[in-house]
Amino acid sequence: MSRFVLQRLLALVPVLLGVPLFIMLTVDLIPGDPAALMLGEGATAEMVARLRASLDLDKPLAVRYVRYVVRLAQGDLGRSFREGRRVNDELAEVWTATAELGIAALVLAVAAGVPLGVLSARRPNSWLDNLVRVTTLFGLSMPIFWIGLLLIVVFSLWLGWLPAGGRGTPAHLVMPAFTLALPTVAMLARMTRSAMLEVLREDYIRTARAKGVPGPRVLARHALRNALIPVVTVLGLQTGQLLGGAILTETVFAWPGIGRMIVRAIFARDYILLQGGVIVLAVTYLAVNLLVDLSYAYFDPRITYG
Amino acid sequence: MACRWGTVLVAVVLLAGLTAPAARAQRRGGTLTIARPVDAVSLDPHFETTAPGAWIYQMILEPLVALGPDMKIKPVLATGYRVIDASRIRFTLRRGVRFHDGTPFNAQAVKFTFDRAFDPKAPARWASLAGPIKGAEVVDEFTVDITTREPYAPLLYSVAMLYAGIVSPAAVQKMGQEFSRAPVGTGPFKFQEWRTNDRITVVRNDDYWGPKPYLDRIVFRVIPEESARMIALRTGEVDMVLVPAPSQLAAFRRDSNFVVAEAQGQRVVFIGMNLTRSPLTDVRVRRALLMGTNRKAILDNVLEGAAAPADGILAPGVFGYAPMELDRRYPYDPAKARALLQEAGFRPGPDGVMVRDGMPLVLSLISARGRYLKDAEISEAWQAQMRQIGVRVELNFLEWGTVFTHVRAPQLDYHLFTLGWVTTTADADYSLLPMFRSNMAPPTGWNTWRYVNREFDRLVDQARVSVKAEEREALYRRAQEMIARDIMFIPFYTTKEIAVLRSYVKNFVPHPIEYNQGFAYIWLDK
Repeated sequence: MSRFVLQRLLALVPVLLGVPLFIMLTVDLIPGDPAALMLGEGATAEMVARLRASLDLDKPLAVRYVRYVVRLAQGDLGRSFREGRRVNDELAEVWTATAELGIAALVLAVAAGVPLGVLSARRPNSWLDNLVRVTTLFGLSMPIFWIGLLLIVVFSLWLGWLPAGGRGTPAHLVMPAFTLALPTVAMLARMTRSAMLEVLREDYIRTARAKGVPGPRVLARHALRNALIPVVTVLGLQTGQLLGGAILTETVFAWPGIGRMIVRAIFARDYILLQGGVIVLAVTYLAVNLLVDLSYAYFDPRITYG
Repeated sequence: MACRWGTVLVAVVLLAGLTAPAARAQRRGGTLTIARPVDAVSLDPHFETTAPGAWIYQMILEPLVALGPDMKIKPVLATGYRVIDASRIRFTLRRGVRFHDGTPFNAQAVKFTFDRAFDPKAPARWASLAGPIKGAEVVDEFTVDITTREPYAPLLYSVAMLYAGIVSPAAVQKMGQEFSRAPVGTGPFKFQEWRTNDRITVVRNDDYWGPKPYLDRIVFRVIPEESARMIALRTGEVDMVLVPAPSQLAAFRRDSNFVVAEAQGQRVVFIGMNLTRSPLTDVRVRRALLMGTNRKAILDNVLEGAAAPADGILAPGVFGYAPMELDRRYPYDPAKARALLQEAGFRPGPDGVMVRDGMPLVLSLISARGRYLKDAEISEAWQAQMRQIGVRVELNFLEWGTVFTHVRAPQLDYHLFTLGWVTTTADADYSLLPMFRSNMAPPTGWNTWRYVNREFDRLVDQARVSVKAEEREALYRRAQEMIARDIMFIPFYTTKEIAVLRSYVKNFVPHPIEYNQGFAYIWLDK
């Protein structure tokens, strides 16, 4: 198993080498000079040229790339062009905020999505099943912006229960986590439902029932555990969705996370900051999927890592 | 000298409760929470000149002199100044002032600040706005000369910019680049905490040399979403909102729990014309576009009272402003506009679009979406108005960084562009010279229309070196007269600086330059 983990960690290397190259290339290709944008409307061409030089922007791509990768190998993500701040410091702040939001949303999604799917699959085409299917369709198709504002109007403006935005107390986390979780809840409920329906048709379920195992136990121990493998896979993939949805959720709820930081970095053509953000996101995503792969062995003991 | 220069009046509209003499005693203490859409980039005034940073550091760092809400120069860290000639001003410094870290304020600190901002190795953003400033020379411990490379009459205005805040030399040397995250100055508030994209907190400086502020603390929160920002104000989570949602202003005005405070802003938003592209090379066509534009309709329907009509490239309040009277010279008259186009050789085509030599009159426009208030909506409304006079406008909405690059390129491939411009120094030189002088075509300057007029060049050159205010005003009036004659842009609006506050927030003074300086002496009546 340690070999498996090691292999997966080695797969990070091309990502860490590729992301900076890709971002440098795109930033070079799209119009918009970071130095000119930084100095603004009044700057002379000469000042822009001097700033470009001081930011190393006048160096060829290869030089910039090698310098970046050398620093990256030492764990240094550089300094933001525009803010002059260490990217490591900035990322430590925003990544924590996004992780907090993402984990809360994930927990919420699993806690709500899986039981809903199980209930739904227990009696297919019952009123409960239909209700779950309609509401999950709703959850999948509502835009995050709209849901978020609706929640703010109801729970902050009308009821006054929750703060409208910002980060600090657990109360601040409730609405953004719920908003972010909603599409994933729907996804998981539908996934769990179909996986459960599949499993419930299997022979060993019939055997379990036949030998008199109580209904709830059949569902939880025999069916759900086997149905969870595709669900966990989807959950791993959904993490990417969560990270993407976080940009909108963070905007609506004024959550100081990595999504908003990346958008800001793109508009300022601050590619050092942008690179740092994308690298951290990519590593997070890969780490989550590694955990997902490792968890398969728990759900299905036949799976081993050779 | 300052008084004669600042003869211009600005309509600062203060609503009930703000101007009335305080009925109750000012209270000390309390925390004021302000919501705004974006976080500061940096709190170092040399590198960050946009409002979200300036709102905060202007309470921490003070310049030698500043532009008050009446757009007149007032002393701050300098007690007085003397204009020696058009390239040198001597400032007498305030004594007994200390920075927040205990460092004494003196001529050395001023010199350190200017050396840092104008260091050729690391050009600061302020330096790009400040004109040909050379630096500061120490005369004695409390006297300093600010000098320029060439005669530059608006020098005092450049020194009065908030970006000229004097920094603590000891703190800069100790903190290096981290200074931009926790600035140290002499101001009425001290920096306390910055959580990126969430909040910045400043606390009262009890050792301030001037009148002590009332508030204990001011918290600037970031709430990007417009509706969420307004809801936070309604629920009382924040006491004040900057950059409010225009569509909700009417409702807040009717509600006695809130006060809508506003000042005439400085930014003019316009559609510019590229004079190097046919048929805009013909002044009759340019005038036709102007006369076919119903600017009032756009102002009323698109902007809903969130901005004031513009009449030129300068906002009233800028030194050298003269009304261009475009509404009188070129009133909205679609029939006359069509006639002007026909004079220029166009004939109505089959689908209503004018045609000349078999070519339909199609103009391409480049605009950002969301860079300026309602920029894209204005372009769309204008497109419909142009259709009425037989002009087809093709809209190209691009992201701001891309628009910026296109407009700044040596050659502009579009006929028209939506842009905004602030006369940052509050002196006409800052706009009329880089935007209209012949040698200022991009990439050198902002003569984005590529206007060439030698007579105009002479006027702005002369105005830059003269220290006589009346003479400069007369020169700028003539220069604006030429722009009104030659027409190369359609001005739409001048920004208003609007804030919505809860009615217990007292003594907020909206400032024409992005509400700056208005927060320090607020007190809370609750």
